[in-house]
Amino acid sequence: MVTERELETVELNINMGPQHPSTHGVFRMVITVDGERIVDVEPHIGYMHRGGEKLSETMDFRQAIGYQDRTDYLAQFLNEQAYCMAVEKLIGLEVPERSEYIRLILCELNRVTSHLMFIGAFGIDLGFFGTSFTYAFRERERIQDIFEEVSGDRLMYGYFRPGGVVWDVPDNFVQRVREVLPYTKQGMRDLDLLLTENEVLIARSRGIGAMSAERAINWGLSGPMLRASGVPWDLRKDQPYSLYDRFEFSIPVGEYGDVYDRYLVRLAEVHQSIAIVEQAIDQLPDGPIMPEKMPRKLRAPVAEVYAAVEGARGEYGIYIVSKGGDKPYRLKIRSPSFCNLSALKEMTVGNYVADAVAILGSVDIVLCDVDR
Amino acid sequence: MTLLALDYDIENPWLDAVLGLLVIVLLMTVMALTLIYVERKVAARLQMRLGPMRVGPHGTLQTLADAIKLIGKEDLRPASADRWVFELAPFAIFVPAFLGFVAIPFTRNWAISFLDLGLFYIVAVSGLSFIGFLMAGWGSDNKYALLGGMRAAAQLISYEVPLVLSLLAVSMVVGSLDLREIVEYQGRVPLFVWQPLALFIFIAAALSELERQPFDIPTAESEVVGGPFIEYSGIRWSMFMLASYTNLFIYSLLGSIVFLGGWDWPLGGREGLWLQLVWTAAKAGFLILFFIWIRFTLPRLRIDQLMTFCWKVLIPLAFLQIFLNGLVLVYEWPDVFLLLTSGAGLALACYIVYRSVRVEPRGVRLVPAGRARLPAATATAEGGSGA
Amino acid sequence: MIGILRGMYITFATMLRKPVTIQYPDVHRGVPQRDRAFPLLLWDTAIDEPFCTGCHACERACPVECMTVTMKDNPLHAQGTSKRRKIVDQFWIDYGRCMRCNICVEVCNFEAIAMNNTWAGHELSKFDRNDLVLDLDQLLSQHKQGKIEEWVAE
Repeated sequence: MVTERELETVELNINMGPQHPSTHGVFRMVITVDGERIVDVEPHIGYMHRGGEKLSETMDFRQAIGYQDRTDYLAQFLNEQAYCMAVEKLIGLEVPERSEYIRLILCELNRVTSHLMFIGAFGIDLGFFGTSFTYAFRERERIQDIFEEVSGDRLMYGYFRPGGVVWDVPDNFVQRVREVLPYTKQGMRDLDLLLTENEVLIARSRGIGAMSAERAINWGLSGPMLRASGVPWDLRKDQPYSLYDRFEFSIPVGEYGDVYDRYLVRLAEVHQSIAIVEQAIDQLPDGPIMPEKMPRKLRAPVAEVYAAVEGARGEYGIYIVSKGGDKPYRLKIRSPSFCNLSALKEMTVGNYVADAVAILGSVDIVLCDVDR
Repeated sequence: MTLLALDYDIENPWLDAVLGLLVIVLLMTVMALTLIYVERKVAARLQMRLGPMRVGPHGTLQTLADAIKLIGKEDLRPASADRWVFELAPFAIFVPAFLGFVAIPFTRNWAISFLDLGLFYIVAVSGLSFIGFLMAGWGSDNKYALLGGMRAAAQLISYEVPLVLSLLAVSMVVGSLDLREIVEYQGRVPLFVWQPLALFIFIAAALSELERQPFDIPTAESEVVGGPFIEYSGIRWSMFMLASYTNLFIYSLLGSIVFLGGWDWPLGGREGLWLQLVWTAAKAGFLILFFIWIRFTLPRLRIDQLMTFCWKVLIPLAFLQIFLNGLVLVYEWPDVFLLLTSGAGLALACYIVYRSVRVEPRGVRLVPAGRARLPAATATAEGGSGA
Repeated sequence: MIGILRGMYITFATMLRKPVTIQYPDVHRGVPQRDRAFPLLLWDTAIDEPFCTGCHACERACPVECMTVTMKDNPLHAQGTSKRRKIVDQFWIDYGRCMRCNICVEVCNFEAIAMNNTWAGHELSKFDRNDLVLDLDQLLSQHKQGKIEEWVAE
């Protein structure tokens, strides 16, 4: 009789390489597998590094807006908001109220589109083969049409500037947003029917990759991953910025921190964002969009500043060190995807190979955000 | 062989065989090409898209264009791959699909060969294809392929058991393995009325044998990117596709003959062989559309969940179905007891699927933020700005 | 089972809806007025010369340094027909580097540059990368022919 210890098994190294349909970008995972159980995961990043932080040192504060779009390319307005808040804090500009409202509305709509993208891609990772993706993108396209009418571009908006926004919204902006929101709610209902109570999806995502609240805080997670683990921390509530204090909304908080909870938290966040947009659209005031005492050239004092927003993926922060002049000396981006991804090994070891894909999908990384 | 309503016996057995071969090959190829197009169009409509539109009117020539492209591709073989195993794997998957067509009766008089053990033959032959997956997985000298091949072999072997058992339950009721007699038994009432649980098990097992969602883990596109077929290109890869769609057609035909009444219900066909053919094809088409519908609505199960579903859910239910059939047949209870017992079994199956995942309901709790947090004094101070 | 049946219901209901695909290139969706494709230079039809004076403002402001500008004395000013003392001599924009950030339009004092907001601005595929560097005549041609109605923010 051969006992189990005498049978020699070999651990396979599987390379989910940079080119893979489900690694959300050029991301490489080297997985060591014993049968079907994962023993070790080694993530390799850096394939998308373009030197965005260094390039921002060579251009002044207005020119660098273009690069801020391109870090987290699914939640661009939130990136621009963080950058503009940092520069405004540094230089001491005051943003007029209409601009603050416009920024807030666009940021929350951008959060909706980012989460819609997550829901679509999540379905594909689990095997839906396209159905959830097209449903989510239908609604996303409608909102992106609004963004195109406001800023002129479908993906890299470049619409915010330190001090306000670059030009005013078109006249039919309020009416367009009110037109689109019912469609978004209908789309969310469709996705809910398709995904949330689907037994196969629940079987694939419950109990997988669970993080307790204490471990989530220790690993530095933020955003929906932290809230799914049970920690009610949201920068809009705990370190309020912009005008979030004027609206009634809630923060969805999960319980177990597994893949299913993260999906549910993001689903609920979409509804909360829609509620904020509805309230803000009703309150949109008239007025100027740039401060009156706007300097022609933005010059910063010798100072350091850090500003963070609640991005779609977590806490997105910009840290600027300025030595005077009109260019930053050092611009550092605290990207949420990078910090969330660092916990990948902890969540994945011990699960099956198929679960690794589901867990990676639930972290909701954007590779340009990880690598900058 | 009786074919094309000619109803004569061809003297020379070799000529007979060659004609039969020609019919099968033509039928298979045309059906596979058509089915690929139909699947793409129906899938697109389920996803709010249009599907192929540019090649030919409404994209009808798309599959032909794909076939021409695949024929023109280079036939790659990894240098360290085991040559004969690698090259013979597509044939090992393709040929059992061919052979299955031999015993299927399309109408009362049309089949390549009327076998007394038709059901047994079809199940036996279509179960041979798993060796091709193993050969493809091993012969490719690629870890992804090996992983996919092992998964495929495990899945295919496991799900043959519920497939066979459900068909066995049906043939117990009918009393014969001959497909013609099974159809004629359903003259007034089709068998899915009497045996709904067997139909459920058959559909689940057939989906798994066809490697479609929710059981498509061997070729999981977003994980191991093609599984055992990852190293194949060109015409060899297209043979896998062809075999897959041919199997789809065979299982749909089998399902329509055994459970939906074939050419008989509700026409009670004695005449009109062409009408019978159309009717059988329509029922098979209904099942095909159902399979496509399921494919684009469900994600895929993990390999261990797949195995659990087979061995712990489907096989006990299949045995239960056989046991209940045996009770009803031995004690000669009226047929409606078949419906009652099998229907109760189906309700049990649905309950098991329902309960296995929803142990406790899940939701998120909402923590209020924004204005709700602020004391009332500050709120009224800002209320003026909202006008 | 219920979740699966709900999913099947919604996919079936979707099949009965109209598909949302727009079949490009047979059908071109309308682009909004503010659409930002690539920058173009504007032609002053009243005086028959470009608006651009070659002042280098956009060249300095461009984050990716995709423009090259030179200026010359304006012959029409010597004649007295034009108020512009200098006029642009040569102007190259490398569309391959341009990131369409709109800063060049913002800093221009003469409203001489605008973003192309037609479909022609998006359908710019070339076989050779060097063909993406456009010179003055190519940049002026579309507005000269009256093909675009540019939108420049006030």
